[in-house]
Amino acid sequence: MMVLLALVVLPIAAGFALYALPRADRTLAKGIATGVAAVTFLAGIALRDQSMSVRWLARPFTAAFHFADDGIGFWIALLLALCTLCAVLAANVPRLRDFLALMLLLEGAMMGVFLARDLLVFALFWDLMLVPVFLGLLGWGEHPSTAWRYLIYNFAGGLTLLLSTAAFGVAFGSTDVIGRSGLAHLGYIWGPWIFAGFAFAFLVKTPIWPLHTWMPPTYSDTPPPMVAVVSAVQSKAGLYGFIVVGMALLPEAMHAATYVMLWLGLISLLYGGFVALVQTDAKRIVAYSSLSHLGLILVAIFSFNALALRGALIYVIAHGLFNAVLFLVLGFIEEREETRSLPRLGGLARANPKIAGAFAIGALAALGLPGLIGFAGELIMLTGIFSAGYFWPALIALVPIVLAAAYMLRLFQDIMQGPEIPDVPIRRDLTLIEGLAVAPLVLAMVFFGVNPHALTTFDTTLYVSASELAP
Amino acid sequence: MPFAHHVMGVEGAYPLLYAVWLLPFAGAVACWAFGPQLRRLAGPLASAVIGAAFAGTLLMWGFATQSVGGALGAHVSLGAWTRGFDFGLLMDPLALIWCIIITGVGFLIHVYSIGYMDGDRAYARFFAYMNFFVFAMLTLVLSDNVVGLLVGWGLVGLASYLLIGFWFERPSAVAAARKAFVINVVGDVGMMFAIFAIYAHVGSIGYGDIFANVPALGGALFLICVGLFIGAAAKSAQVPLHTWLPDAMEGPTPVSALIHAATMVTAGVYLVARFWPLFSSSPDAQELVATIGGITALLGAILGTAQWDIKRILAYSTMSQIGYMIMGVGVGAYEGGVSHFFTHAFFKAQLFLGSGLIIHALHNEQDIRRMGGLRARMPFAFWAMTLGVLAICGIPGFSAFFSKDAIIYGALRHGHPWLFWTGIVTAGITAYYMFRMLFVTFLGEYRGDVDPSDLGIRHPELAGTPLPAAPSHGESAEEPHAPAWIMEAPVAILMVPSVFAGWLLFGERSPWHAFFAQQFRPEATVATGIPELAASAIVLVMVLAGIGIAYYRYASKPALENATGRLQQESVHMPAALSAAFYFDTALDILFVKPAQGLGTVFGRWVDPKVIDGAVREIVLSCRWLGHLFRSFETGLVRAYALIVVFGAACFLAYYAFARGL
Repeated sequence: MMVLLALVVLPIAAGFALYALPRADRTLAKGIATGVAAVTFLAGIALRDQSMSVRWLARPFTAAFHFADDGIGFWIALLLALCTLCAVLAANVPRLRDFLALMLLLEGAMMGVFLARDLLVFALFWDLMLVPVFLGLLGWGEHPSTAWRYLIYNFAGGLTLLLSTAAFGVAFGSTDVIGRSGLAHLGYIWGPWIFAGFAFAFLVKTPIWPLHTWMPPTYSDTPPPMVAVVSAVQSKAGLYGFIVVGMALLPEAMHAATYVMLWLGLISLLYGGFVALVQTDAKRIVAYSSLSHLGLILVAIFSFNALALRGALIYVIAHGLFNAVLFLVLGFIEEREETRSLPRLGGLARANPKIAGAFAIGALAALGLPGLIGFAGELIMLTGIFSAGYFWPALIALVPIVLAAAYMLRLFQDIMQGPEIPDVPIRRDLTLIEGLAVAPLVLAMVFFGVNPHALTTFDTTLYVSASELAP
Repeated sequence: MPFAHHVMGVEGAYPLLYAVWLLPFAGAVACWAFGPQLRRLAGPLASAVIGAAFAGTLLMWGFATQSVGGALGAHVSLGAWTRGFDFGLLMDPLALIWCIIITGVGFLIHVYSIGYMDGDRAYARFFAYMNFFVFAMLTLVLSDNVVGLLVGWGLVGLASYLLIGFWFERPSAVAAARKAFVINVVGDVGMMFAIFAIYAHVGSIGYGDIFANVPALGGALFLICVGLFIGAAAKSAQVPLHTWLPDAMEGPTPVSALIHAATMVTAGVYLVARFWPLFSSSPDAQELVATIGGITALLGAILGTAQWDIKRILAYSTMSQIGYMIMGVGVGAYEGGVSHFFTHAFFKAQLFLGSGLIIHALHNEQDIRRMGGLRARMPFAFWAMTLGVLAICGIPGFSAFFSKDAIIYGALRHGHPWLFWTGIVTAGITAYYMFRMLFVTFLGEYRGDVDPSDLGIRHPELAGTPLPAAPSHGESAEEPHAPAWIMEAPVAILMVPSVFAGWLLFGERSPWHAFFAQQFRPEATVATGIPELAASAIVLVMVLAGIGIAYYRYASKPALENATGRLQQESVHMPAALSAAFYFDTALDILFVKPAQGLGTVFGRWVDPKVIDGAVREIVLSCRWLGHLFRSFETGLVRAYALIVVFGAACFLAYYAFARGL
């Protein structure tokens, strides 16, 4: 119980407390924020079979502040804690105190999403996690319109999520249901509509084509430490929702949506891959590559196969790790070169071999190099999709792997290799703190690349056999 | 699906096997992490590590060839990812042959690199990559399952990428590295497809399980073979996935010798030989593999006749020779295909290292038109290259005579007369272009001081790009100087097997045949109208004809007297199709690269902002209520709105918290 409180409440409380610090003392703010993030991460490691529940509503349906971890939420929460720690460590923006406060608030809100066992609490934190990103975009972004676009899309999703949660509660009588399966049928009148509301929210948040257009500007405008966390973890909230809400609680409706979702996933993975080939803004390349990778995970989830589901969780973690590395390192580069436009960069590896090395490992993991975690996830996911009988989806999903090699190498080479660009403002290789911020992520990519089975300890029957009730 | 687990090889604890596999990895980490401290020790250290791995490989010989109750070789388990995804190492005769070449020839090339890379700014990084390559290649051949194979497959691709682009300040090297990697990912994807199908039908990725369940593959067998062969074709530069190999010559010459001649590019041969139970069960797949191999052999040889860059000549010859090997394993002559890998590794490494002696001495000049007359100045390099050329041409007694004829005659014996004749024609062309290279490089007068345009070199600034990190010894660029013994010794050692290795194949009861007796099941052969000796004679006639034409064109008295004019004429009148390498690059660009970029541009510049955002805007604007709401957002205070979001959510929850029923 203490552990769960530490994970959810501590970052939020510390985030507000940070505002009490003197505005100008950057070192103090960073020290405290790093300490809080480190404690949260340690609490995350200790998080095993924890549960806490406080009664909240009795009518019109029962609800409770119920938090617990299952095998999926645990790893995503740990990923979140690690990414936040690394991002806080790496953060170097103006008005650092306010920014770090937002980072901690963001962490706490997302912890709530991944640890909530009650749909209403899940929905509450789902909406809360918009706020820090929105404020981050307004305060530190380049165009205010991006913040509004982010808010409008995600608030629309949050609205349908709340409506569906309320309807679920009324129809079923309780929202304290996450982590359970084999619930009574909701009936053919309620089920599809409730699922549609959830699905819309999940698709926007992930995002999946054609609801993705808020994402590239958001990813390129948000300060790198924040976008590292948003792209690594917040983008997984929708996929997590499809697994724990869709597969476990609404299997019939989930099955009925299979073909629509497979199509959307396949379009996303091709569309994102093709667009990433020709972008010139480094952060937009990673943004569109995310669209491609997350589309693949959606296809894996909707193939309803235990192997594909294991692969999906591996890839969720993989994508979190390499996206965090890529965005953090792109942040370091932008800080030094004052640009992230590929035509204006080049030859950095000569003066910054360590930055180039870290970036190379992130890019290689993203393009699915065997031996790193991305490959394990992709291979297991796709083997599962194929084993489930989806011949063509598995075949089509191989195309973006080739595209990923092309755009990731282009990204890496255009920045790091070729002739050096003269007159660069600062030439300084990775500092100690920056190195400390990236190293754990890189080590995790290598470790789980060799041992991906460590991530798949969760019970797939909770999701897949529950879904297999339907024809 | 429960079934008995089939493991190839005798289970046991083989600490030596771990050592052979992991020593190069340790060396790579050491050179990478402690490069600045090691300085010039990095090269000797990396070489010693590979030498130790070679010794370990030889010590494993007994275990690799042991046979107990149908299990052949040595096997250790490494753990599992999930059910059916079991990993392990397998050292059997097939793996042993590859390990001997990887570590043995690899050791010599490492030693040679100590001299070749001397003075390079990134000396330690080079050896870290080389050791990493050896580790990756050992992973590839020692895996006992297809996923482990693919891991090695991808990692050798990475090593190749890093080493092609080793001098990454050069845009041409960067482009070549990217091209090699992307084409190899196409191959990886083919293999991934094969893995899906194998797992779906067998429920396991282990070789033992796969080969014990070939009938269970059913109709998927052909597709699995095709998927595997796409991987083989990409890695082994088979048509139409070969275009990366000539460009890969941007890497330092020892890299070309080790990765792009002796070992990595032969991984496709290993793959087909390893999966022989599958290919042997699918005649259609065999036909495909053999045909592609034959086409590649011929095409590589034809393109080899039109090159001026000494390394590109050798690259096309590598492509052509691997075409032979693929043809051999494709028709079912597995022993023959593997034997040509074995002999080719020696003489091609020797040829590349020999060319490296010249390139090094001439300060990175690679155009043979600007060489000439080097025989007197570099006698050692001359003899090294001559022996290599004699070996690759298959002059009787030299190594390729045995191994190449085993493939050519094997094609006939397994019922592929067209491939038999293709192989013979290719042998003739091979003799022509190899002797062309030899004559133009070593005979006549030195042409390094001739105006490039008189030699027909159109873009001299492109022909001899000075390297940013050129190993330089401070002498004048005009006078070639002798290389250090550390570069000559490995070449001298390689001469022995490149001349004699073929004798292992001699006779009906050859040691080679005995070595592989338990590895491959002999395939059915057909009666041939031509006895083996007669076939060899036909090949020999073709080879002599090729040498004769090369002599007439480049080494006869009139040719040598007017060498400059003749080379200029040949350059100017080179057929466009040959100069453009039969337009494969252009075709791949038009068919794949341009459409992909076009789609990306259309999606990114038009669909995203215009269609999708446009539609969303229409929806938003057409809803007046929402329209007003959004307009007020734009005028309102930003922070105030953030409060509204939280407040709204709180109100919603409060309503449910305090409502007394619906």
